[in-house]
Formats: sequence, structure tokens, C-alpha cells
Amino acid sequence: MNPEQILSSFREALGEKVLEDRTIERSVGVLKSKPVYDIWLVVGRDDFHDVVAHLCAKFDPHLSVISGEEIGNDVALNYHFSTGWGEHYGEATFTIRTLVPIDDRRLPSICDLLPGAQTSEREKREFFGLEIEGIPDDRNIFLPEGSTLHPWSKEDDGGTSKELKRLVKWEARDE
Amino acid sequence: MNNQSIKLEVGGSTACYTVPVGPVHPALKEPIRFHFDLDGEQIVGVDIKPGFAHRGIEYMGMRRNLIQTLYLSERICGICSISHPLAFTQAVENAAGIAVPPRAQYIRTIIGELERIHSHILWAGVGAHELGFDTLLHLTWNVREKCMDLLEELTGNRVDYAIPIFGGVRRDIPAEKAPLAVEALGYYKGLLDQLVDTFLHDKSIEMRTRGIGALTYDQAVELCAVGPVTRAAGVPKDVRQDMPYLAYADMDIKAITPRDLGVEPTGDVYDNIIVRLLEVAQSIEIIEFCLENLPEGEITSIPKVPALLAALKNAEGEGIGRHEAPRGEVIHYVRLVEGQDEMAAWKVKAPTYSNLMSWVPKFLGDEVADIPIIAASIDPCMCCMDRVHIADETGTTSEKTKAELVRLSREKTRRICG
Repeated sequence: MNPEQILSSFREALGEKVLEDRTIERSVGVLKSKPVYDIWLVVGRDDFHDVVAHLCAKFDPHLSVISGEEIGNDVALNYHFSTGWGEHYGEATFTIRTLVPIDDRRLPSICDLLPGAQTSEREKREFFGLEIEGIPDDRNIFLPEGSTLHPWSKEDDGGTSKELKRLVKWEARDE
Repeated sequence: MNNQSIKLEVGGSTACYTVPVGPVHPALKEPIRFHFDLDGEQIVGVDIKPGFAHRGIEYMGMRRNLIQTLYLSERICGICSISHPLAFTQAVENAAGIAVPPRAQYIRTIIGELERIHSHILWAGVGAHELGFDTLLHLTWNVREKCMDLLEELTGNRVDYAIPIFGGVRRDIPAEKAPLAVEALGYYKGLLDQLVDTFLHDKSIEMRTRGIGALTYDQAVELCAVGPVTRAAGVPKDVRQDMPYLAYADMDIKAITPRDLGVEPTGDVYDNIIVRLLEVAQSIEIIEFCLENLPEGEITSIPKVPALLAALKNAEGEGIGRHEAPRGEVIHYVRLVEGQDEMAAWKVKAPTYSNLMSWVPKFLGDEVADIPIIAASIDPCMCCMDRVHIADETGTTSEKTKAELVRLSREKTRRICG
């Protein structure tokens, strides 16, 4: 299935829930050049779960990872999926971006659709201080248990740096 | 899997324990913690806690210029020390619109596949050791040296080869070095039958790995597992096949599953061995193709570092770079902002991150003595345990050393071999 067919499926099923889409075609190969595709979608937080549900129902996606950064008043989250795996030149990357306001950091979990999302959701939860609704396990995964620091959040306000300095001092203690 | 309590049947014929393993690990060399719920010897629950070696590399990378961060990316993993730079350079090149000369694409591929050969052979040795087959450990690690020597000849280093640079590679493979590679590949081709025979037809290895640490096709897909772990379960995922890049785009790469050896996949440890051994043979073929078809020409599109830094600073955009590392898919995401030396965003995903959750179904139903080989079967990039604390229902604790766990594993091998 080519990228245009994939995007058409989303436009037909979800209409205006897809706020923005674009496809980047790249050429690969030295002896014979062929195209590969990166597809990018932007969707609203309230429609995000529906969009991923459509992706899971129709395109059997693989989730590589969720990336994120705080831009202005939002946490921008990129869900890096791919579709079409299992076939030579069959796959395209498929990134869904959604914005979560920094003063209302709630987002639905997609673990009900794709259980493999849990590790990456837990990581984003702790690093940005998100509340991921419906996540099966909301404990810290990479940060220490019980830590309430959110190192990738601009609202962290130096707390992580202070804690790191304390840990370095603690590690270097002479006992 | 969230286990918060010790489940006990005091006075019954069996008692359930929660056994913490790690954060220093029974099988390998980096820290991670497992909590196993045990019913007798059988694992009935598992909880996994990584994060003990979190170094904040992404945080550091976003405070350095891109060339400094390239060297940092090479140090994310010692074994996969070209896998992360390959994904990272592609992400930046896609974001900045930088082309890579054909010769450089082939050289990147050659080094990437040499890394796969030595990584898979290293893993095979670790697996043999966990089963108590140290003769095989010594054989595999001895033959691995040929690959390490070749990497040193081609790049100057056994690890951290410092080959990729944005827009190309830092060192050429001159014509006089090619015969060394050809000779090394011939050496491995001559050994493959012996390795396959020793690993796959040895009775004790078969009994310790068949049906142990199984993962179904559906579990592998739902849990987004990657690399040999998912292919062992019969899922034909391989970035080199699915979305080709570098020299892979010129080849007809096929994801290897146990079916290539006529074995119906179950995702168990045995199937993981099959996939990795067959992938050594595949890597040899890929390198041979690259050497035979190595294009002439430049090895970098922007040779001067100041010009490269300027081009990167003027770039604006975001990009994704992926590479099928020996352990599975590596992906890097970057966002560049014009006028800024450092990246605005950088996300790194290593294969173990994706395979973390697949450990849960792999452990369930198997025994304590299988923990080391199942833990090792995903070839985790977090490792080795010094000791295990075991707490019983009265709160009494005892310790088991790594040697004790290895002894248990070896006793099981002897027991089932009669």
C-alpha cells in the first residue's frame, strides 16, 4: 500500500480529526534508486486514541518509540510507528504527533491497542510529568522508584540538577 | 506485570516466593532488576525494573554540537558502537538534507555487518557459558577475534570505530585492505557448519533451549519486539528488508526466521540461536556483495569539519534514522533549529528497550535454573549479576551468588542429560 492510500484511509475514516499530514519521499540505493517514505500526521489530543485505533485496525503497526519535547505551552509527543513490515520495501515510517498542554498534562494510553507501548509511555510519563490515562502500570521505569522529578520538563526548575549533584556527592562519599 | 506482595501458602505442600534478581544481573554485565514470583521452581510472575545505568545521554547530547554528539552516540553501546552512529547520522542527514556518497554508504554497511558477526558470535559464547558449555564459549570467543582483528585493521579500533560522519565516513577501505576482509570472510564460512552443528545438534543444548523462553508470533507483534527475538518467533521484521537504506537498498535482503532451517518458530531460546547463526552467514554474503560492488569516488560530501558544522547549524527540520543493529531496530529522532549548534530534540531507542516487555512471557512457566539463559536469549544490553537475595515467607533472607545460579543452571543440564 502506498503512502497516499494510507493517508486516504485516514482522511476517509477520521475526516477533520487529522489536522495535518505530509509525506516525505526519500531516494535510496546506489545501483538502482528506489523511493521510501516517511509519513507524518498531526492530531489533537482528544482524537489521538481514535487515530491510533484506526492505525491498529487497518495497518498492523510497529511502535518504535515515543519522542517528545516541550515547545512553548505544549509537550509535543511523536509516536514513531511503522507500517508494512515483513515485505521488501514494504514499510514506511508513520509518525503521529499530538500536543499536550503543559498546564493539563493528560493523555490517553494506547496500551489497550498496542501493549508494547507501555515502556515508552511510562518513560514519557516520568520524564515529562504526564498523566497517561489507562496505562496499566504507572510506576517509574527508568528513574528511581518514588522519584517525582521530571527531567525533560521545563517546569523541573533545576530539581534534577540538584538531585544529580546530591547523588554524585553521595557516590563519592568516603566510607 | 506489577507484583507488590509475596504470595504464600504457608503449611501447604508448596510455598510461593518473590525472588529479586539484580539489579546486578545473573547472566550478563549490566544492571537490571527482576522480581520473580515462584511457585516452587516455576516462574509464575515477573516484574522488570531497568534504569540503573541511566546516563542521561540524550540530555547531554542536546547540550553539545552535532559532531561532539556523534562521538557520544558511539558510546551508547560498546558492542553496537556503529549501530547508533549509523541511525544518528541518517536522522541528521534526513533532517538537514545532506547526501552521502555511494562509496561511504557501502563502507558503513560493511562495518555494520562486521559488527553483527562479532556481536552474534559473542552472544553465542555467552549463551553456551550460561548452559555450562564453556568449551564452546572459548571456541566462539576465540573465533570472534578474527572479526575484531579485521575491524582494527579497517578502522583502527576494535570498538568505537569512529567511521560515520554526517555526509559520509571518516576513513576509506583502501584496495590493499580488501584481501584481509576476504580472508576473514573465508575463515568464517569455513567455520559456519561447525558452529551450526555444535549449537543446534548438541543434545544437551537442545534439551536446555527447546521450549524454554518461548514467545509466540502474536506476543512478539503486540509487544513490538525487534531483531532476532521477534524473528525467532516467526515475525519477519528486519529494517534492512522492510525499509532498505545504505547498501542494503541494492540487495534483496530477507528477514531470517527459523523456517529458513525448516524449523517451525516458537520464539524459544533454540530459535534465537538458529536466527543468530544464520544471520552470521547472511552478514558474510552482504559484506561480500559490498566488497565486490564497492563504488569508486568520494567518501564524504562535506570533507571540511568547519564547513560541515556550518551546514548543520544552518539546517532546520526533523528526521528519523533507523538501523537493524545486531540486537534489532535502533531508531534516532532529531529536530534541528536553524542557528543552533545543538539539537532541539534527540530521542534514542535501542533494541533492548523494545524487547524489555517480551521478557515477561518468555520467563513465565519456566524454572529458576532457566533464568540465566532466558535473560541472555534476548541478548540484552544491560547485564551481569553479582548476587541474588532470596526472601522467604518469614522475611528471612539469604543470598545466592552468581556462581550459585550458574551452578544451578549447570546442574539442570547434567540432570536432564542423565
